[in-house]
Amino acid sequence: MSTAASLHRSRKRKNAVMMALCTIAAGIGLVWLALILGALLYKGLSGLSLSVFTQMTPPPGDAGGLLNAIYGSIVMTVIGIVVGTPIGVLAGTYMAEYGRFSRLTTVVRFINDILLSAPSIIVGLFVYELMVRPMGHFSAIAGAVALSILVIPVVVRTTEDMLNLVPNALREAGTAIGAPRWVVIRSVAYRAALSGIVTGILLAIARISGETAPLLFTALNNQFWSSNLNAPMASLPVTIFQFALSPYEEWQQLAWTGALIITLTVLGLSIFARSLTGRREDR
Amino acid sequence: MTAVSEAVTSSAIRTREATVRRFALTDTIFRTVTRLSAILVLVLLGGVAVSLIAGSWEALSKFGFSFLTTESWNPVTENFGALAPIYGTVVTSAIAILIAVPIGIGIAVFLTELCPRPLRRPIGIAVELLAGIPSIIYGIWGLFVFAPFLQTTVQPFIINLFHGIPGLASLFAGPPYGIGLLTSSLILAIMVLPFITSITKDVFDTVPAVLKESAYGIGCTTWEVTRRVVIPYTRVGIMGGVMLGLGRALGETMAVTFVIGNAHRISASLFAPGTTISATIANEFTEADGELYTSSLVALGLILFIITFIILALARYMLLRIDSRTGA
Amino acid sequence: MKPMLSTDLNVAETTAEKAKIEVKNLNFYYGQSKALKDINLSLPERSVTAFIGPSGCGKSTLLRVLNRIYELYPKQSAEGQVLLDGKNILDRSQDLNLLRTKIGMVFQKPTPFPMSIYENIAFGVRLYEKISKAEMDNRVEQALKRAALWNEVKDKLNASGQSLSGGQQQRLCIARTVAVKPEVILLDEPASALDPLSTAKIEELIDELQADYTIVIVTHNMQQAARVSRQTAFMYLGELIEFDRTEKIFTSPREKRTQDYITGRFG
Repeated sequence: MSTAASLHRSRKRKNAVMMALCTIAAGIGLVWLALILGALLYKGLSGLSLSVFTQMTPPPGDAGGLLNAIYGSIVMTVIGIVVGTPIGVLAGTYMAEYGRFSRLTTVVRFINDILLSAPSIIVGLFVYELMVRPMGHFSAIAGAVALSILVIPVVVRTTEDMLNLVPNALREAGTAIGAPRWVVIRSVAYRAALSGIVTGILLAIARISGETAPLLFTALNNQFWSSNLNAPMASLPVTIFQFALSPYEEWQQLAWTGALIITLTVLGLSIFARSLTGRREDR
Repeated sequence: MTAVSEAVTSSAIRTREATVRRFALTDTIFRTVTRLSAILVLVLLGGVAVSLIAGSWEALSKFGFSFLTTESWNPVTENFGALAPIYGTVVTSAIAILIAVPIGIGIAVFLTELCPRPLRRPIGIAVELLAGIPSIIYGIWGLFVFAPFLQTTVQPFIINLFHGIPGLASLFAGPPYGIGLLTSSLILAIMVLPFITSITKDVFDTVPAVLKESAYGIGCTTWEVTRRVVIPYTRVGIMGGVMLGLGRALGETMAVTFVIGNAHRISASLFAPGTTISATIANEFTEADGELYTSSLVALGLILFIITFIILALARYMLLRIDSRTGA
Repeated sequence: MKPMLSTDLNVAETTAEKAKIEVKNLNFYYGQSKALKDINLSLPERSVTAFIGPSGCGKSTLLRVLNRIYELYPKQSAEGQVLLDGKNILDRSQDLNLLRTKIGMVFQKPTPFPMSIYENIAFGVRLYEKISKAEMDNRVEQALKRAALWNEVKDKLNASGQSLSGGQQQRLCIARTVAVKPEVILLDEPASALDPLSTAKIEELIDELQADYTIVIVTHNMQQAARVSRQTAFMYLGELIEFDRTEKIFTSPREKRTQDYITGRFG
């Protein structure tokens, strides 16, 4: 009897210890998040001023802003999205609609999932070999292509998932009224899955707006204002990389401020994207 | 009566048939375009493989298999070997996973079993947001905040603690640089933690409630249910999540580049600077002059590509297995 | 409610009434497994035919052959003949979209498209007809009136179709089907997801529609079959057991299995 009681006590004790450890683990996770965001706010906010958005990146040791880097990031992100999104949506459409039961879809889904988490620096190398080397110089367009390659798997995945959530009954209803498949897809399936697909695109924007590695040797960097797509172009992440590793205090401060801008953008986009699908679930 | 006869008039039928032909054509075009887009995804991966092989051909044909086993990395004498970056990549990722897996599973257990219900969603979302923060943020934080902290407090303490103990002393030998293998590992652990947590949480949610309830029903404690029911049931899925995290860690570039120290040597001490494949490429690629240097860097990329491909394929395979179980 | 026809004809035995659809030696397969076995029946024009039987008997499958909606899925195939006005619709040369403009379908669960009430109806019409805005307005109004929905929605035609109640959604789907002027309407358990009041409305509607359309309804509700149909087909395990006037099926079936099912001894 007493052994049973002591066994029970020791089981209880073990449970309490393990559950405490799990709680501590969760605490550690949240503390890291708080530490990183805290440092980012503390160091970034102090350098945040209007001149960050109105002045060019300065030469070493001078004050300045991040205008050309922000502009370059926006340009390359926009091109990356504009190029990558249609391809991703169309591929996802094939997988969920025309090719839902085909072997090709299974293979593409597997490969796409690998591309989704493949190291982005590899994509940088690929575009270097594909564009930079043949063209003989770094260019903004090469950077944009690298970003679009990162966009495609994100959009493919969400488009397929969201179209798969559209009830088959709706497709049958569209078909039963005499609509050909492409009309059913365009007017019924896309419409029903719209908010989900938009979420995927927003997540893709969030993903590429902080990407550094694929731009390092495609778009390179540019100290000056440039809107020439055929020439190197500055971007926020690459500028942060360069400035943070420099010995100049002004540059390091700008790096922190840039990091804050990127993080706020990415978090904002992610939260907005989530709120879109959140509403969808409520309905 | 009227409705039917109206539809059957011959002119209506003619226009309908013309429309039908147009529809069929558009459908064929649209189907072809979507199919080509899907194929493009395969072409992309194939293109990556081909271009990396082509780009690394010069280095691989010059150094051959010894590229994998040579530690030296000397741009002046143009003698390149991948051993140090491979070592750094494997060691940092392995330590990162060793740290992140228990914590990640712990958080998942906390979220599914312990956390007060109103807090579950916010914390779950916070974890996922953490996964979305660009890696360069972790890098800059690691360089300016975390590394100095380790250098001034943690590292001297550990060096003194293990001083004179065989094995451990050389594993944690000074001087405390702040940056180095261990710092990179810790940053990587923080980075992959959200991935592992959210996947583990998702697979925990696939455990049928009745299975857990029957275990509780015979008097199991929460820990016993987790240990004996939930984790065994989801083992394959957890492994998939771990592999996915490992894939991320192996290929992670920016967070590591800031804090690894970029030293092409293999040291016994985890406090020593080192390098990883991705950090080497990021640091040196634009400055590499000479075809052989560039080609050697691309060859590093090829090695990374092959390693991550295998790991990620395994991860997807394992996650697929748990998906098909819940789907059926 | 249902106008009893004075002509006391047995549809299964006489061809006095014109057949709209004739099914001949029809077999249907899901992959390797045979879901319909040698079905033969003919559906008279402008009347309601009900398919009844326990679940899995193939009644829905048979319905889905009639507009070849099964073609959306792989590994489903039909062999034999289904003649619409004497022309085999299972023929490879049959254009499926054209076929479906002639044979409309309403599903078990209401399936309003994710668009406005007006657009839900205009969508199908616009596919094959180029008509003016005024004509389209008229078409939408007529279709909604036909489905006895006009009075309930005439002030909110731009509201989402999904904002309607379940019964209203189902009538919207009927309006949508009627608007493209089909010749045949297939109803796959159209009231099984609805409350009794909505069900009564749908049944009333079916009764009115048979003046213009050939209607086929699948139902698991025997009372419903008895109420709305003029002839009934009883199916069991992929076979057509008995096909006759509804009255006959429910009062004096020839087959023992029909009788057992009707009296609730199985199913």
